[in-house]
Amino acid sequence: MQEKAEIRSKYWLAVFLVAAYTIPFGVGIYTDNVFFDLQWLADLTTVILNGIMQGGVYAMFAVGLTLIFGVMRIINVAHGELVMLGAYLTWMFFFYVGVDPLLALFITLPIAFCIGLLIQKLLLNAVVGGPELTPLLITFGLGLTIIHIVEAIFTTDYRTIPYAPDAFQLTETIAVSRSKIISFVMAAFISISVFVFLKLHRLGKAIRATAQNADVAMVCGINIFHIYMITSGLAAALAVAGGALVSIQFGFNPETGVLYTLQAFAIIVLGGRGHYIGALIGGVMLAVIESLISFMIPNGTAMVEIASYGMMVFVLLIRPRGLMGPKEN
Amino acid sequence: MGQKEHLRNFGMLAILIIILCALPSNINLYLRSVIMFTMMYVVLSLSWNIISGYTGYVSFGHVMFYGIGAYATGILVVDYGWHWIPTLFVGVFVSFVVSLIIGFPVLRLKGPYFAIAMLGAAEGTRVVATVWEDLTHGGEGIGLPNVENSFETYFAMLVVMLATIVVSYWVGHSRFGIRLNAIREDEIAAESLGINTTFYKLFAFALSAIFPAAAGGIQAYKVLYIDPETEFFILVTIYMKLFAMFGGKGTVIGPILGTFILYIVQEITWVKFPTAHLIAFGVFIVLVARFMPRGLMGFAIDKGWARKGMVH
Repeated sequence: MQEKAEIRSKYWLAVFLVAAYTIPFGVGIYTDNVFFDLQWLADLTTVILNGIMQGGVYAMFAVGLTLIFGVMRIINVAHGELVMLGAYLTWMFFFYVGVDPLLALFITLPIAFCIGLLIQKLLLNAVVGGPELTPLLITFGLGLTIIHIVEAIFTTDYRTIPYAPDAFQLTETIAVSRSKIISFVMAAFISISVFVFLKLHRLGKAIRATAQNADVAMVCGINIFHIYMITSGLAAALAVAGGALVSIQFGFNPETGVLYTLQAFAIIVLGGRGHYIGALIGGVMLAVIESLISFMIPNGTAMVEIASYGMMVFVLLIRPRGLMGPKEN
Repeated sequence: MGQKEHLRNFGMLAILIIILCALPSNINLYLRSVIMFTMMYVVLSLSWNIISGYTGYVSFGHVMFYGIGAYATGILVVDYGWHWIPTLFVGVFVSFVVSLIIGFPVLRLKGPYFAIAMLGAAEGTRVVATVWEDLTHGGEGIGLPNVENSFETYFAMLVVMLATIVVSYWVGHSRFGIRLNAIREDEIAAESLGINTTFYKLFAFALSAIFPAAAGGIQAYKVLYIDPETEFFILVTIYMKLFAMFGGKGTVIGPILGTFILYIVQEITWVKFPTAHLIAFGVFIVLVARFMPRGLMGFAIDKGWARKGMVH
C-alpha cells in the first residue's frame, strides 16, 4: 500500500513537472508570443541556456539551505538575506578597495563563515531539536535585522557591479553573457568542491553522520554542536558566494533577499529537502522554468515569484520528498 | 472557569468600551487616529492569534487578507461609487472565499512549510494586485475621496475590535477552541480522537481571515490612498505576529496587551528613528522567540501573577 502510494506520487510529480514546462508554451501560443520560426528557436535556445547558467547560481544558494536543513532540521529564512549581504560585501570590496568580485571571495568567505558560526553559537544551538517554529521565528527576526541594517548603511537604491557584461557568441544567433558563464563555472566549481569535501574529508563525513542521526553521531564521539556550528558557517559561506555571483549579474537592493529565500526554498523542496545533489538539479530546473516564463508570458518577470511559490506548494502537496529527498517519518 | 470569571472579564471589556467611546470627542485628531490604529492592530493580532496561537499554524502572510479588504473598499468606493460601509462586508466576503481557496491546500502543509507557503501567498497576492491593472489600478494605487472621517472610522474600528475580542473569547472558551488546541499539541492524536481536523483548521483560518479584511477596509477609507506596496507590506504581518507573540499567543488578553504596549512604543519611536526602530523590531522578535516564547502572559503565569483561567 505504502509502496503503491510512493510510486503514484512519483508519477504525479512527473506529470506536474511536464505541465510546469508546457504551460509557458501554452500561454505563449495563446498570447501570440510563439512563432516557431528560426529566429524564435534561436531565441528560445538562448533563453534556455541562460536559464541553465542562472540555475548554477540558484543552486549555489540553495545548497546552503539544504545543508542546514539536512543536518539540523532547521529552516533558515534569513538565508536570502545572507545572499543579499554577500552581494553587498562584494560590492563594497569592488568599489572601495577595487578588488575583483571573484578574488574578493577570498576575503568575504572567511567573514561569512564567522557570521554563520556566530549565528549558530548565539541563537540556534539552543533551539535545535526543539519545536520547529522557534528557529523559524528567530531567523525571521534575524533576516529583518539584516535587511534594515543594510538599508541604514546603503539605502534602498539598486546597486550593480559592471563586470564582463559583453556577450559570448556561441553561434551567430545564440549568445550568452560572459558574466553568466563565469558565474556558472564558479558555482559548479564551488559546489563540486563542497560535495567532495562532504564525501571524502573526515569533517565532511562527521557532518553527514550528524545529518543521518545526531544521537548515534554523538555516541561515536562527534561533538555535534561543533558540527552544527561548522555546518552553519559553511552554509553562510555558500550563501555569500552565491551573493557574489548574483552581484555580477543582477541589480540588488536590501529587499531582494526575500525573493532569494523563497526561490532557495522552492529549490530545496523540489530537489528533496536535505539532499545535496537534489538542490543542484532543482536549482537548474527552477531557473529554466523561470526564464521560460519571463520569455513567453507577458508581464512574466512579475510572475517569476508566483512560479517559485506555486512550484513549492505543489511539490509539497504531491510528493513532500521532492525529486530525490530521503523518505520521512 | 466559573460564571464569576466570565462576568469579571465582560466587566473589564465594558469598562474598556466606555473609555473608548468617551475618548474621541475629548482628544485631538492625531491621538484619535493613533488610538484607531492601535485598535486596528488589536484586531490584526487577535485574528492572527486564532490560527497561529490556538491552532499552532504560524502564518507569515496574514497581510494578504488585510490588503484584500483594503482593495475591496478602495475599488468599490472609487470605481463603483458605493457607500463605504457596505464595502466592508464585500471585503469580508471576498477574504472569506479567498481564505477557503488558499487554506484548503495550504493547511495540509505542516509547521514551517505552512509559514513559508503563506509568505509566498502574500507575495503572490501583491504581485496580482500590481499586475491586474484593470481592477486594481496597478502600481499607481487608488486615491479615495478626501472627507473628514476620523469619527466614523474610529467607531467602525471599535465595533470590529469588539467583534474580534468577543469571537476570540468564544474561541478561547468553547469546545471549538479546545479542539484547536488539541490540533496544535498533536494533530494526529486529535484526528484519532475523532476531531475533523481539516474542517476545524479551515474554520479557524477563515475566522482569522475575515476580521483583518474589515480592518483593512476601514483603514483604506481612513488613509485615503492605497497601493500594493503599502497594503501588502510584510511589515504589517510582522507587527501582528510580534504584538501577539509579545503579549502571549494562545490567549485573549495577551495580543491586546502586547499591541497596546508595543504599538505605542512604535508610534513614539518611528518618527525619531525611522530605520533604527525596524532594526530594533527585528532584534526584538529574535529575543522574544528565543527567551520568552510564551510572551508576557506566559511569564505572568510562571511568576504566579496570573492564573491560567484569567488569560484564556
